[in-house]
Order: sequence, then structure tokens, then C-alpha cells
Amino acid sequence: MSSKPKIGIYGLTGCAGDQLVILNCEDELLDIVGATDIRSFPMAMSGGDENCPLDIVFIDGTVVQPKDEEMLKRLRERANLLIAVGTCAVWGGVPAMENKFSREEVKKRVYGPTGDLFKTITPQPLSSFVKVDLSISGCPIEKEQLLQAVASLLHGDLPRLPNYAVCTECKMAEYPCLLIEKGHLCLGPITVAGCKARCPSYGRPCIGCRGPVEEANISSEVRLLKEKGFTPSDIQNRLRTFAGAADSLQMESLKEGTNA
Amino acid sequence: MKIITLPKENFAEFVGHLCSFGEIHAPIKRGDRSFVFAPVKDASEIELDCVRTILPLKKYFFRPMEVMFNFCAGEGYEIPSEVTDKRIVVFGAHPCDIHGLNILDMVFNGRYVDTYYLARKSKAAIIGLDCIPDDLCFCRSTRTDFVDTGFDLFLSDIGDKYLVRVGTSLGDDMVRAAESLFYEVQKEDRDAYKRKSIERRESFKTEIQLQDLPGIMDLEYESQVWQDVGETCLSCGTCSMVCPTCYCYSVFDELDLDGSSGRRKRRWDCCLFKDYALVAGGHNFRAKRSSRVKNRYFHKQRGFVSLYGRPSCVGCGRCKAQCPSGIDIVDVITKLRSETRV
Ligand code: SF4
Ligand code: SF4
Ligand code: SF4
Ligand code: SF4
Repeated sequence: MSSKPKIGIYGLTGCAGDQLVILNCEDELLDIVGATDIRSFPMAMSGGDENCPLDIVFIDGTVVQPKDEEMLKRLRERANLLIAVGTCAVWGGVPAMENKFSREEVKKRVYGPTGDLFKTITPQPLSSFVKVDLSISGCPIEKEQLLQAVASLLHGDLPRLPNYAVCTECKMAEYPCLLIEKGHLCLGPITVAGCKARCPSYGRPCIGCRGPVEEANISSEVRLLKEKGFTPSDIQNRLRTFAGAADSLQMESLKEGTNA
Repeated sequence: MKIITLPKENFAEFVGHLCSFGEIHAPIKRGDRSFVFAPVKDASEIELDCVRTILPLKKYFFRPMEVMFNFCAGEGYEIPSEVTDKRIVVFGAHPCDIHGLNILDMVFNGRYVDTYYLARKSKAAIIGLDCIPDDLCFCRSTRTDFVDTGFDLFLSDIGDKYLVRVGTSLGDDMVRAAESLFYEVQKEDRDAYKRKSIERRESFKTEIQLQDLPGIMDLEYESQVWQDVGETCLSCGTCSMVCPTCYCYSVFDELDLDGSSGRRKRRWDCCLFKDYALVAGGHNFRAKRSSRVKNRYFHKQRGFVSLYGRPSCVGCGRCKAQCPSGIDIVDVITKLRSETRV
């Protein structure tokens, strides 16, 4: 890219935690601003350009409302590269946790009668609606991965993010295995690395906040967790918390011995 | 080989002397039941009965993740000084640990020399300590239950003393620095050493026949065993991370935002990862997990034998101890041999 790439940073429905990670890159923010042309970042600045073509658009949050879908499709038309930022954008995240219930039912349970005031659709990740060029998962994303992604994109390249499991980083850092030593329900074996096994480093099992690793062997994980005494619903609840919309985590795929 | 004895009451004082040869690293406790090699200040912190640590000694010389060099367009590159600076003394290496390092020496100091590994290794002193095998140790089958090279000193417990074998001139320097603590070997020491040696040999609970395994593996290339293990394996990478002789690594660049500088790094890799054998154009030579599991066993027990005349497995049992889904190398080999485990 010869001149400075035009960038947009947007959020759909969600906690905006990933946009906050971008803002929290205090030491690097000036470098990012220097190397790019940020045309719009509604969370951080007013007066953005909402019509110009963009080289790269970063989007966090989940598609939960019809207006999210419209905005996403509009951004896809404007942008050359569309980057899904955060587990919500990549896998549906927490908003997609209860997708097995109907929207009307969930709305009534959570908001009571006021729920009728707004429209929602089944929460889904960006990739259900548009082509996604790069996914940076994490709840929230890791600052280092974001910076690596930006640096690579500035070179006209895509970053190389880990596509191995949290266990790999857990063992590289030599933390005792919570699944083996304590019988905890740890999702490290099926969750994509990148957090440097943050939770096991504090003696807490991985709850899968980064979403599934490629080719996650869910059936084997379920088998070993059952052997440790967990019930299918304990396991299903944990699997669903962050990436319920991921095909590989659906209940149908939990049949044992499927994907060698 | 010079052999002397160190009474156990002198042990703590001897460890105190070692700090002049580098930072002392020895097994300490981590978590409920795990051990790691880590810096210690004095002998009281050392877990002398530790059977195996989570990570093997390769972590000191072949780092899990390291910067190979920093680069900047127009200025060239420089290797971080950390690679060559620090001296360490590793205390408490078991025979299989030392064999693991000897195997890494063969690989990293062979046809293609790995200067990062060698720079660190040349700054380290290795002090061995013998051990009592548990159920998972099968180093007698891999012929790594005893070691006679690759250490500076090696201590064997013979009751109220250690019998100390001096392996190198550095080891001799360490003894001379604390000469008054050591004694000549007496007849009762010789007897105790030989008696302990038999006791230790007889305490192995796990044995497996490995001599003819390469041929059997070739014959059983299509065995159902690989399919079964492939279904159980999570591709989590743990077994390779914790294996003393898994030495694959992946090299990549990290760029800075200025567009001209960055770092070349490497990290441990594992042949069980989905993209390990993925090549440009998108073809994956081992797309199925069963073929990747098979590769790990073939490399250790078959390919390495052809290249170096021995399997690269040292029988430490770490892969079984740490595998979340409980895959046991001894079980796998037993099944491949169509034998029943006793
Ligand atoms: S604690 Fe969890 S992440 Fe760490 S090795 Fe065990 S299963 Fe994997
Ligand atoms: S260990 Fe698991 S839950 Fe914790 S930060 Fe990492 S991916 Fe998220
Ligand atoms: S530790 Fe076990 S589950 Fe993990 S990759 Fe190795 S064999 Fe597979
Ligand atoms: S394959 Fe397993 S038993 Fe053999 S050296 Fe590696 S970790 Fe130890």
C-alpha cells in the first residue's frame, strides 16, 4: 500500500471491549495513527467519514439487531479488507450463548415487557453474513495480536496467528495441568491459543473465551470430561458460553469418535 | 573416570559452592504434584525425590520461544546478547534427561549446527542425580537408565553418601572448589553402589521390547491402532512440548509498526498440529490427525533409528504423564506389537 491505508473501526452489538483494547494501546497509538489514516472510529472520535471507501475495516461485536446486519453489509461494500475483531465478531460470543432458545423467549426472560421495544435476530458472527478476510479472536483480543495484525497489514500481508491449542502455550510456560492434577473442566485442549494460557497461569481452567482451535477434537474432549465426572450439560454450558455459534461445538458433533 | 564420595551432611555446603559456577537450577515443586527445574538459592529448596519435571532440560538451551535476531532495514541485524551471556548450573538431571540432551546434541551439533542451542549449552554445567523409577518410566527399555557421558558430575545415592562420578574438567573444578567436602571411595562404598545398582534395575515396573520395533512399525503401517489413537488425540501439542527430544521449531517474523524493523523468532512446533505439513498451494501432507499421530511415533521409533542408530525416545514417561486424553506410548507400542501388557 503506497499512501497511508484508510481505516475504519466499528462496533456492532457487544461490550465494545475489543475497541477498548485498540484505545488502550497507549504506547503504540501514535504509531498507528502515524502509519494509517483513521477515517472513522465512532467510539473514539466524532465527525468520521461514513461514506468514503476504506482499505481496512475492523469490526467488533455480534450481529444481534437488524441494524447490525445493515451496517455490516454496508461496511463490507466500503472496505477492501474486513477484519473480525474479538470472539463475538468471530464466533458469536456471549450474545449467541442462548441460541438454542427462540429470540422471543430469550427477550421475554431478560427484558420482560420492555423487550417488545426493540427488534433482535438470532445472534451470529460476521462470517454468517459477509466474507471475513481475517479473524482475530479473544475476549477481549490480545493487544500483541492486534499490533502484529496491523503491522502485517501495513506490509500488505496477513499476520500469522497461532492455530494450536491453549495447552501448547500452557506447557511452554510449564504450568501444571489443571485437568490432570485437579480434574477441572478445562477447555484448553480445544481452544485456540494466543492468550499464553492466562487462566491456567492463575490456577483457573480455560473457559474457552478465544473460541475453538481449528479441527478441535470435541468428541475426545467430551469423552475425557465425562470420565472425570462432568455431565453433558456441564460440558455443553461451558462450550456454549463464548462460541455457541461455532458449528464444531454444536451438540450433534459431540457424538464420540467422529473426526479422526 | 575420577570417582569420589560426598557425605550427605556435606551436600548443602557443596550446593552453596556451586553458585560461583553459575545460577543454580534444580527441581522444585509447582502445583499439587508437579515439579519444574527453576532457580534455587540453597539446597533446602531442592526436591531430591522428584521423578520428572513438567518440561525437560531442553527448555534451557532450545527455548520455547526466542528472538533469533532483531532486524532493521538499512542497518542489518543483531543477535540478542541474552543468548550467550548467562552461566547456569543444572542440578538433579536424571539419566534420561542427560540422554535427552545428548540426543539434542547429535541433532543440533550435527550436519546443521544450531548456534543458539550450542551457545547456551556451552555455558551450562550439568550435575546428574540418579532416581527411583515410577510406573511411567521405561528408560531401561530405551537403554537410557544409565548414563556415562553428557554430565560434569553425576551423583548416585548410596545410603548416607553420594558416589560422585566426575565427567569433565569443569566437574573436576567444581569438586576442587570444595575439596574438603569429598572423600576417597572405600570398599563399603563400592559394595553399596553395586547393591543399589541392582536394586534400581529391579525396580522398573514398565518394560517394552524396542529392538525390533522399526521393522514391526513398517509392517503395521496401516494398522487400525493409528486410527484409534487419532480419534483420541486432541492435537493439543502437549506431548511434543514436554518431550526431551522433540526438537521441531517454527520460524516467523514479527514486524514493528514503523514498517522497517522487527524480530525473527522461533517457537517450539509439533507434528500433531494441523498445519505442520501444510505447504504453499494449500496441500497438507498429513491432513488427518491419525497420520500425524503416526508421524510422531515413526519419527521417534523408526526414522531416528535409521539416521542415528537408536530411537530418540528416552523413556521418560512425560508424554503419558501430561497427555490430557491419557494416550500412553507404551500401550500404543504394545498394541502395535499385538502383545498384551503385563
Ligand atoms: S491446564 Fe488446561 S490448558 Fe493447560 S495443559 Fe491442562 S488442559 Fe491444557
Ligand atoms: S485460558 Fe482460555 S479462558 Fe483464559 S484467556 Fe485463555 S482462552 Fe480465554
Ligand atoms: S498430549 Fe495427547 S492429546 Fe495432546 S497431542 Fe499429544 S497425544 Fe494428542
Ligand atoms: S516420547 Fe514420551 S517417553 Fe519418549 S522421550 Fe518423549 S516424552 Fe519421554
